[in-house]
Amino acid sequence: MLAYLLRRLAWGAVTVVGVLLFLFWLFFLYADPQDVARRALGEKAPPEAVAQWLANHGYDKPAVWNPAAPLDTRLADHLRRMLTFDFGKSDADDTPIAARLADGIGPTLSVTVPLLLLGLPLAVSLALLVAFFRETYIDRAGVVLSVLAMSVSILIYILGGQFLLGKVLRWFPISGFDPDPGVVLRFLALPVLVGLVSHLGSDVRFYRAVFLEESNRDYVRTARAKGASDARVMARHVLPNALIPVLTNVSLAIPFLFTGSLLLESFFGIPGLGSITVEAIHANDFATLRVMVYLGALLFVAAQVLTDVAYTLVDPRVRLG
Amino acid sequence: MEGHVAGNLGAAALVLLLAFAAWRVRGSRRGRERFGEIVRRRPWASAVVALYLGVALLDSFAWIDAAAPGTVAAPRSLLDRVFPADFGERSYSAPLADAEFYGGEPLAHPGRHLLGTDILGRDVLHLALGGARVALLIGGVTSLLAIPLAIAFGVAAGYFGRRVDDVVFFVLSTLASIPSLLLLVALVMVLGRGTLQVCVALAITSWVGFCRVVRGETMKLRELDYVQAARALGVSDARILARHVVPNLGHLVVITFVLTFSQLVLSEAILSWLGVGIDGSWGQMIDQARDELARDPVIGWNLGAASAALFGLILAVNRLGDAVRDVLDPRTLRERAG
Amino acid sequence: MKRIAAALALAFAAACGNDPYPASDAASRVLYVPYAEAPKTLDPQVAYSVYDHEVIANLYETALEYHYLKRPFELIPALVEAVPEPQPRADGRIAYRFALRRGVRFAADPCFGLGTPGATQREVVAADWAFALQRIADPKVGSPVGATFAKIVGFSAFAERLAQLREREPGFAALRIDAQYARAGPVEGIATPDPWTLEIVLGEPYPQILYWFAMPFTSPVAWEAVAAYDGEAGRPRFAERAVGTGPYRIAEYAKRRRIALERNPTWWGVEHAGAGAPAAVYPIEGEPGDAEAGLLPDGVAGGPLPFLDRIEMRYEKELIPSFTKFAQGWYDRSKIPKESFDQAARGGTLSPEMQARGMRLDRTVMPGVYYVGFNMGDPVVGHAAGERGRKLRQAMSLAIDAPEFLRVFLNGRGIPAQSPVPPGLFGYDEHYRNPYRQVDLARARRLLAEAGYADGVDPATGRALRLTFDTGDPSVQARLRYEFLVAAWRRLGIDVEVAATSYNQFQEKVRRGAYQVFFWGWIADYPDPENFHFLLWSEMSQTRSGGPNSANFSDPRFDALFLDTRARANDAARLAGIRRMRALLEEERPWIEMFHPEDYSLSHAWLRLAKPSGMTMPVHKYWTVDPAARAAARAAWNQPVRWPAYALGALVVALLVPGVVTYLRERQ
Repeated sequence: MLAYLLRRLAWGAVTVVGVLLFLFWLFFLYADPQDVARRALGEKAPPEAVAQWLANHGYDKPAVWNPAAPLDTRLADHLRRMLTFDFGKSDADDTPIAARLADGIGPTLSVTVPLLLLGLPLAVSLALLVAFFRETYIDRAGVVLSVLAMSVSILIYILGGQFLLGKVLRWFPISGFDPDPGVVLRFLALPVLVGLVSHLGSDVRFYRAVFLEESNRDYVRTARAKGASDARVMARHVLPNALIPVLTNVSLAIPFLFTGSLLLESFFGIPGLGSITVEAIHANDFATLRVMVYLGALLFVAAQVLTDVAYTLVDPRVRLG
Repeated sequence: MEGHVAGNLGAAALVLLLAFAAWRVRGSRRGRERFGEIVRRRPWASAVVALYLGVALLDSFAWIDAAAPGTVAAPRSLLDRVFPADFGERSYSAPLADAEFYGGEPLAHPGRHLLGTDILGRDVLHLALGGARVALLIGGVTSLLAIPLAIAFGVAAGYFGRRVDDVVFFVLSTLASIPSLLLLVALVMVLGRGTLQVCVALAITSWVGFCRVVRGETMKLRELDYVQAARALGVSDARILARHVVPNLGHLVVITFVLTFSQLVLSEAILSWLGVGIDGSWGQMIDQARDELARDPVIGWNLGAASAALFGLILAVNRLGDAVRDVLDPRTLRERAG
Repeated sequence: MKRIAAALALAFAAACGNDPYPASDAASRVLYVPYAEAPKTLDPQVAYSVYDHEVIANLYETALEYHYLKRPFELIPALVEAVPEPQPRADGRIAYRFALRRGVRFAADPCFGLGTPGATQREVVAADWAFALQRIADPKVGSPVGATFAKIVGFSAFAERLAQLREREPGFAALRIDAQYARAGPVEGIATPDPWTLEIVLGEPYPQILYWFAMPFTSPVAWEAVAAYDGEAGRPRFAERAVGTGPYRIAEYAKRRRIALERNPTWWGVEHAGAGAPAAVYPIEGEPGDAEAGLLPDGVAGGPLPFLDRIEMRYEKELIPSFTKFAQGWYDRSKIPKESFDQAARGGTLSPEMQARGMRLDRTVMPGVYYVGFNMGDPVVGHAAGERGRKLRQAMSLAIDAPEFLRVFLNGRGIPAQSPVPPGLFGYDEHYRNPYRQVDLARARRLLAEAGYADGVDPATGRALRLTFDTGDPSVQARLRYEFLVAAWRRLGIDVEVAATSYNQFQEKVRRGAYQVFFWGWIADYPDPENFHFLLWSEMSQTRSGGPNSANFSDPRFDALFLDTRARANDAARLAGIRRMRALLEEERPWIEMFHPEDYSLSHAWLRLAKPSGMTMPVHKYWTVDPAARAAARAAWNQPVRWPAYALGALVVALLVPGVVTYLRERQ
């Protein structure tokens, strides 16, 4: 067990190093720091200002190999910064990235946590409902509706939600955010609603498939043959056994909890990590962008390791190679 | 090379590829049966996909007419030639309107713009149909980049195992652990804007899925009796791969392609909104039209046409994808469709 | 269970309604405005964008300001006693002597403990002005206007000394900023004979320098604040922390969400208003029409500023939400996005619906110009092509329909430009019609044929003449505008290709001079025609000095006229010079002048005394609101439409019931 745990952790660490190397190649070797500097400083920046800027950001150092000081390279800086979470300054306006992330995490979580807490039970219960009425028109309608819902671009959901619920019906503020407890809920209502609806189609379809597969297994058939009612079979046998794939699906959403949704946050003016990422894109702020990519990957790997370990603890049948 | 010449060559290659695929399907009984089964299960979706494909191909063949003196001739595609050459207005007009939306000046082609015109007076139906070519381009070029590489690496990893597998698996899990939208954005930001760059970025993100499927299937195939027997008899690896492994991956690649296609097109729409999409795509039309919702009276036909065209294709492909998967491979691929 | 239900009901109640503000404001005068871009910096010596200045103008003040109501713009003394007169000296230098106002204090801030332990406030003295000017010179500060102030004697020498000391002397860069400047020595042309006098000496005549003293770049800054807020060890950066003298101070600065300003209780104007100090009281007189527009109501003229208690600014990046919230009454004022223009104003007046809501439309022509430029360094379209190039440019100019461009893209919001000088500035002539700026395709074709490109065919290739239109803006919206221009040139048979590259690739092209045709705009720093003509001065050319003359126009005749007119008073000789420059540009066509932009803003009826300006200047201190009228309007305009919620619920039930019934029946 311990050996497995260590092996899993080691593999996770290797993956993270892989991500770091990939980011280094992309942002330091492929992208030219001169370009980055020009974009940050604007067209009229004299060469001295560019040189100064490069020096301030450490982009003037040798990329990988510095015979004079082996640890004074961009690669070493990059690894050190990422691994110690000392992310340095933004390329666009020199603000410390870590401080901005700290500001953004609250608004992001206040959107994504309700999204997850409401979305999971909603999708699971709708999927149970559809699976329960399998082979009836509710099932068929459910499947078609799910595919319909997942074929709509999220852009349309957002624009439609803002236009209809914000502008025409005036149910919610059309956008914005304020952490004041008196109003924060009304700012969150619309983005959470839109987020829920936009994910519902694919989630229901996926969970329905999981439940149907589980209810075709032998033990379920046996239970049914013994005369257990459909509802009872669903609740007692199918649902608990389907939890593993459901939880796997949820664990995939963990990094998203923290990195936020680029589109939702940006359209609804929520100053979270997603907005920070979008702003970094518009401002050509590579430093912030690579931190976001790295954090997303790190959380993903961590969530995977945790779920895998949780499975072995919960279910000894899961054997791992 | 001029842009439209490359486009023509690409489209010709695509037509040849489709003809070859059709010939292969017709050639085998199983192929005919399966194809018939898919169409029987999803007649509407098949028809819609065929329609989009047809429009996209029409828009892919273009040539330049001899220019009249004092004018510059641009390449016009077959699709462009369906519409009159001067089929434009000065600015917005509502669907089938006789006059401009603002100002009320009479139109050059009253009542003939089925879906109205956009801010520059271009026919919205024409623009929306043109988006089909871009969607096909996104799916096509990306797959053309991703699938051969995925097969090469996936087969190598699955068949040879050990160190090769370790390396490929390392790359796979590295890329897979980066949230895909972030990876996509980072790639496009660094690679730069442009059709090819966007397709390369999409190819890198979708390569992971393809490669994983190929690798898994190859591992299974390797353990099959006749492959083991062939290896025991000393048949060369190259021969086994060419004879027994790669041909048996075809259906999986087809399924994965269909299931990935809608993701690619939807991703491009998001990239367009971030300002790094492909010219002429529906995503760009949506991005361009979204501020029109702030007008009053609202101008909806532009946004509506682009959204509906996008939605129609994605829905048809999604529906078709389910059928393709069920028919071609009822057992292995039960994972999430997208 | 009951408790959960109650909590849910409470949450539901809190989540409903679209009021975006937590606190009621019916009692105090609060201004609500959106901002589309977060300020990049609050450092007055660095900030150069409209978005920065929107905030900074309330926090920092300048020696001079523009009269709030009078047009053309007139300078009034703000932090000084009087607008200084130039004093020519025997050696050809020009001096300006500013008599500083007494009793001006920086807003309370703990940083002043650095100078006097325990102090939280300090009076502004001449040294603070000198310090601000030294910061402009300091290369590390990165002020964008260093080149302009290099006209001050010894300015560049100071910058060099500072840079050298930092480079050569170890430990110098770690000294406190005031010590660094002291070591680098004073700027020769900046003198502070006593704490209330600032003297500036220019090496050459440059009357426009006074306008720069109406811009935040020259705002006095406390060295304590710069030293204390260095961004290290958790301290904020000076760019994020304002310590100024303005009528407002920052209450909250969460720049990606909300910027809240509150009255500065120790503003100098509170004491000086009694004496009627300009910039501390509302003006008594304006231009004709101001009284009719309600800008000079009884009881306000001469009254002490500011009127607003609080300014609430909210970040609104996206246009639809921003304008929708304005229409719902949540913002008091809004720039009209061009997308909403038709709703708001057709032909420059408000729609009846908006008039009924009491909204008001303010239009003002911006002191700016947008133009299509030719790279005069290019062998085909530029100087080198001689007469051929000139005729080609003239022909291309004749093909572009600027009024149509305005109509299509800006809903007519702008004035077709005939020359670089915009309305409202000395030298603008509203009756002048540039013969090459009226569409005349026949004449254009003739000129093209004379240039050797008959029907647009390039004799060298036998095909249509191929030019590239270079842009660093690959967005769809920009693309549409360029397609408009390209289509016009195609009518002449010229094949212009839009090369939309990423911004940095475009910059690279500009640096190498490898561009042919481009679209550019310029908004004036100050209301003087010199600020436009210098865009075509050969000294400012992009390839020679990296200056803003992106057309690389270089003509000795123009240069001579420019140098002659730039430092003159606005007299007949200056006007004649400007006319001659205009005639020269008319013929040479380095630019195809497109339009002078017009700014349209909408205000609600409860926002009073808001006059549009078009220039960067402090305006919020003159504004006021009627909170009661606003509260009533908001309540009336924001009743939610509820029936769709009930309909949706009914639909879900209707869909489910038959299924359940069928199921139950089958079970039996």
